[in-house]
Amino acid sequence: MNGQIKFRDVMAGQQRKHYRRNDLGAFEQTFKAEITAIHRLTDLENLFRIQIVDAEDRSMFTFQPGQFVILELPGIGEAPFSISSSPSRHGDIELCIRRVGSLTNFLFRLERGTRVGIRGPFGTGFPMEQMHGENILLIAGGLGLAPLRSPISYVQENRNLFNSVDIIYGTKDPSQLLFTYQYDMWRADDVNLHIIVEKGDPSWEGPVGMITKILEEIFRNRDAGYFQNAYAIVCGPPVMFKFVCNLLNERDIPMQKMFVSLERRMHCGMAKCCRCNVGSTYICLKGPVFDYWSVMNLKEAI
Amino acid sequence: MTGSTPKPKTYLGVPVSRPRVAFFELSSCEGCQLQIVNNEATLLEFLSLVHVVNFREAMTEKSDDYEIAFVEGSVTRRDEIELLRRIRDQAKVLVAFGSCACFGGVNQLKNRFDPGWVKREVYGDAPVETDRAQPVEDFVSADLRIYGCPVRKEEVERVVTDIVIGKEIHYPKYPVCMECKANENICLFDLGEPCMGPITRAGCDAWCPNNRAGCWGCRGPADAANLSEMKKLMKERGFSDEILLDRLECFGGFGKHVDEYRKGQR
Amino acid sequence: MLFRALKKEDLKRLYDLLAGSNMIVAPVQKGQDGNRAPIYAFEEVSGFGEIHLDYTSTKIPAKRFFMPFRETMADFRMDGKDWGKRVGFNIDRPFVFFGMHACDINALNKLDKVLLGSHYPMPYYAAKRNNMFIVGIDCRPQPYCFCRSMGSDTALHGFDLFLTDLGDHYFVEVLSDTAFNIIRQITTREPAESDHALYMKMVSDKNKQFTLQVNTTDLTKILDMEFQSDVWKQWGEKCFSCGTCANVCPTCYCYGVDESVEMDLSRARKTKFLYACNLIDFAEVAGGHNFRPESHTRLKYRYYHKHRGFVEAYEESLCVGCGRCGESCLAGITVPEVIASVRGEDI
Repeated sequence: MNGQIKFRDVMAGQQRKHYRRNDLGAFEQTFKAEITAIHRLTDLENLFRIQIVDAEDRSMFTFQPGQFVILELPGIGEAPFSISSSPSRHGDIELCIRRVGSLTNFLFRLERGTRVGIRGPFGTGFPMEQMHGENILLIAGGLGLAPLRSPISYVQENRNLFNSVDIIYGTKDPSQLLFTYQYDMWRADDVNLHIIVEKGDPSWEGPVGMITKILEEIFRNRDAGYFQNAYAIVCGPPVMFKFVCNLLNERDIPMQKMFVSLERRMHCGMAKCCRCNVGSTYICLKGPVFDYWSVMNLKEAI
Repeated sequence: MTGSTPKPKTYLGVPVSRPRVAFFELSSCEGCQLQIVNNEATLLEFLSLVHVVNFREAMTEKSDDYEIAFVEGSVTRRDEIELLRRIRDQAKVLVAFGSCACFGGVNQLKNRFDPGWVKREVYGDAPVETDRAQPVEDFVSADLRIYGCPVRKEEVERVVTDIVIGKEIHYPKYPVCMECKANENICLFDLGEPCMGPITRAGCDAWCPNNRAGCWGCRGPADAANLSEMKKLMKERGFSDEILLDRLECFGGFGKHVDEYRKGQR
Repeated sequence: MLFRALKKEDLKRLYDLLAGSNMIVAPVQKGQDGNRAPIYAFEEVSGFGEIHLDYTSTKIPAKRFFMPFRETMADFRMDGKDWGKRVGFNIDRPFVFFGMHACDINALNKLDKVLLGSHYPMPYYAAKRNNMFIVGIDCRPQPYCFCRSMGSDTALHGFDLFLTDLGDHYFVEVLSDTAFNIIRQITTREPAESDHALYMKMVSDKNKQFTLQVNTTDLTKILDMEFQSDVWKQWGEKCFSCGTCANVCPTCYCYGVDESVEMDLSRARKTKFLYACNLIDFAEVAGGHNFRPESHTRLKYRYYHKHRGFVEAYEESLCVGCGRCGESCLAGITVPEVIASVRGEDI
């Protein structure tokens, strides 16, 4: 007589170096990565360059602009961040991070050479290939430039694949402008860069006002043909992308050709913990990038 | 109890100092401080993390050179106010330690009665100075609160570790029910007893309900404490206003709510 | 599916066979309430006599055995600017669940869909779920049960054996190979035609005993239409935001993650803890912005997740109708009443 139930090790035969997302091993797979450089951008934001240590893992790490990673500081915590660097650089990523919570406050005390954990990439990206041959509007408000910098890099590196390209960027005041050292480079790559601040300072010579003001000015000189072949990526606080997208829609850009990135609380990044749910949609899996039509159909999204 | 000088520590490469820590008591039972010493298993680790320079419960030497001050108890005398101000001037981090320091604690129950009567009842004709019992933050600012009567040792250890490495301190915002259910306790209301669990801040791991005793609200209100529903619940289960008020008033954390309640009763 | 008939007095033999070399989790009486009614719970048992197979329902499902309220996800060993991470799933042996009702088995089947059957299957759950041997048992509908409305009153899969009480013997459904190998070691017989008739009569009698219904027709659409309805605010005013409903729910799986440093600063730990969507900071982000600051928006989200979103994804709701949340809610909020009020119906 034997009633013993055999113990089953669910990971038996599963141990491998590179997991796919349907493998049990993918769930808590952490890439060890090293902080190789820290750039101060403003009083509140730093750019962290983080390189996956293992060379093979680094080259296998691929992502689309708009996707995010979860950064882990052992014992301190985890948090999601959009990747701010070019996908062509694989697992040598840059994260533009604002010092705002428990994890980021600790992160800002770390030195070059410290090892952190990276999980991901997670979520949806901006459909860059769908936009090939089209006019591109890259619109960011405030910290929204962080997720937008990855599609900007993609556009720069593949400038031949796009028609006219505009970056429209607004912040509260000039001290909050991010990546100022890159503006000349963007312009040199035949990108129209328009910057506006809500409140100038004595040294500010550019336009002052809301981001919609500069959009209206730009649109005055564009014909219907331009809008027919236009795509927009809009990153920033919900109140901003709501106004911007409505403005774009007035110019007959379909909502399905506007893309936004939503921010929510996240713990897992893998559609399990439910903390990011909007209505009942997992932002971490179905987003963070959505076309605006989908956002309009999400209850309580904006 | 000061221990030997250990080598400098780091956490994720960030230098970690061993802060000088002092414990002080105002009007209190010193039960919170006892919580720290009564688990020998982790006491040594605790002492390697911080350098205790003042701790009446466990040592005789004293020093006024400290960075973190744990202040237990409520303020009931003028000399305590002076002591408290001196502590505030010296300490980089002042921790209101336990419910007496945070809310006045059990001591503040006397504020309900005529002060002359209270004094005569307790001290007779002895020349003792004793005034209203007030929380630490009525006089000086506190950087942190550790709730509980008494505080929970595990929470204190965690908070101290987080202070030492420079990590932000977070408390549960939810009520005791959350922890009580996770411990699979039988609900005190099912047993026919009152319990403040639905409105009291968690963090105690449902200490009292784990022992089949209803919560008395020692940690004060949870972030979304639903007092009006609590009133309904108590009434429905046959408990009088006074039973509810007794519990709400016991530790002082619900002071604001009690005042409103009493106003509503009139 | 294979059917057998097992004499009642032989059930202990099945128990002994399983208990001989496995941990057994079963419904026991944990205490009694103020009215002297028994309170049941799933516990590890060491004798057949402890088990109450005639239990009504447990206050809390057997959740802690497959989805603990707190669980270590990983340990870290710190080493200067570097560290090592060790991941473990916190189980080293199988558990036999002796006497689980259909609702709780269906709850597991629902959890399987989201935790195992989607992208990024969850190894912490998989490791435990794959090491369960479940003996199901039939039940009597209680006044708070609405499993029939949710289609969870019978379990079609997700167990190993299922017992239905037919008087002097049990009608046994043998679902798994493991179960077959065990059941053949004790005396059972082929069910007769009369057993089939008895079974069908039992089922039909049971169906008549349900007193509570939930109308789920068009519910996903109605929830969308009534998103701005004032009834949410009325329920929100009652809600304690205490998380009891989620903790006693056999299908609630939302969680939070917390990392902590040990006092010696050389070790750290990552802990998963079940969270509840009604808790005030469920959707609060770094910097303090809260996407659902009001009680009623959180309560509404709870219904949207269970009765709309899950239906959209899996063609069924994330509710088995066990009624535990309503029974435990100190504010008296019950699923049938909330849904009826959203539909503008009297209950």
